[in-house]
Amino acid sequence: MAICTVYTTHSLKSTSSVSTPTKTHLGFHQRQVIFYSTSKKTDRRGSSEISCSAGEAKTVVIGLAADSGCGKSTFMRRLTSVFGGAAEPPKGGNPDSNTLISDTTTVICLDDYHSLDRTGRKKNGVTALDPRANNFDLMYEQVKSLKDGIAVEKPIYNHVSGLLDPPELIQPPKILVIEGLHPMFDPRVRDLLDFSIYLDISDEVKFAWKIQRDMAERGHSLESIKASIEARKPDFDAYIDPQKQYADAVIEVLPTQLIPDDNEGKVLRVRLIMKEGVKYFSPVYLFDEGSTISWIPCGRKLTCSYPGIKFFYGPDAYFGNEVSVLEMDGPFDRLDELIYVESHLSNISTKFYGEVTQQMLKHADFPGSNNGTGLFQTITGLKIRDLYEQIVASKTSAPLEATKA
Amino acid sequence: VGTMAATPESISEKVTESIKLAEEACAENPASGECIAAYDEVEELSAAASHARQKMKESDPLETYCSDNPETDECRTYDN
Repeated sequence: MAICTVYTTHSLKSTSSVSTPTKTHLGFHQRQVIFYSTSKKTDRRGSSEISCSAGEAKTVVIGLAADSGCGKSTFMRRLTSVFGGAAEPPKGGNPDSNTLISDTTTVICLDDYHSLDRTGRKKNGVTALDPRANNFDLMYEQVKSLKDGIAVEKPIYNHVSGLLDPPELIQPPKILVIEGLHPMFDPRVRDLLDFSIYLDISDEVKFAWKIQRDMAERGHSLESIKASIEARKPDFDAYIDPQKQYADAVIEVLPTQLIPDDNEGKVLRVRLIMKEGVKYFSPVYLFDEGSTISWIPCGRKLTCSYPGIKFFYGPDAYFGNEVSVLEMDGPFDRLDELIYVESHLSNISTKFYGEVTQQMLKHADFPGSNNGTGLFQTITGLKIRDLYEQIVASKTSAPLEATKA
Repeated sequence: VGTMAATPESISEKVTESIKLAEEACAENPASGECIAAYDEVEELSAAASHARQKMKESDPLETYCSDNPETDECRTYDN
């Protein structure tokens, strides 16, 4: 919320009405100060000063990095669902807009900051992964503006035509999610993020997922899918992958270790790597915080079919940072397994018992709902809600303490 | 491969075409910028096609009808 203070240095004669902040259709506050003064402007000294502390209207900014076809949109749908309300494209705008808006959350796709359109990239022989194809100055300016509560006119990159369409107006939301290939690439943008997530899909799983996605498509063959992954790999390794060292949470998706030589990509080993010491974020743990634990929940209390489920939890180092790792290998067969698992996890930031299970049930048809990807994405969503609530609470309590003093 | 809704014709054609172009661009030099950019386009269009399929799969015929005609017998819902 914008805190504006008006100092009127003199004159009881002047009737000044200060209208702050203006309510937008999003129910959020825009920093806009309209100052009316009905007194004759003869007395120069009778001026009024308005000071707005920009820091108070702040939007919480979350960054999500992942390659295309790695489940960003599924994660986004799970995340917005945690905050309630359906996320929809802006009403009445460009039908090819990449933006999703719900009551609390606005998700913008960073492809909209491409500086080169499809023909431009072809002409220059660069991919969308290349920093030269992206306008980081504009990305920084607009994310900064939104964070400070100012609406922006953001371009739209049309994925079907490959062209940059006329811009759309984005209002500052409570929570802004920037998702795409480079949310943590530019240090200025990275510093604006309150929390960052990297979806790290191993090459084997990426290949299996793209086969599932594309094989039915006319023209695609195993060769063309493989060639597309290979061609993009050098740029991916150079510009996208290094961003994971800056992420507060990394979700790693790997082939299972429960079935020897499995390469179907159906049974997955998923690791949630959580950075320690991040403000407003306390990592999830299994049984005992800081211990190293391997847990197979299948047994007398829980029947699992082949290949079963295996959990791992423990401290580790990741790019020189201290992290906690929670790992799940294997699929869920039935829901009672999930509630049993949920009841043994701590620090999951749920508001009631069974909330993780309930969230997963809501979207049982999403990809990853029967394995660790869905579980860890849901938990990350709850951690973000918790982080958001703590940030808001600390912001509102700070000015209150100041007035008390 | 699970149950797939069909990709809209316009996108499907573009995917097929982009693959053909990429194969041509890479025939001469597989490490060239043109080849890499062409396969990046294939990926972008394949992703767009998959998103379009997803959108079509989600559209329920009755839901679509009811959003336009909420007053009809088959669509009316009362909260209490």
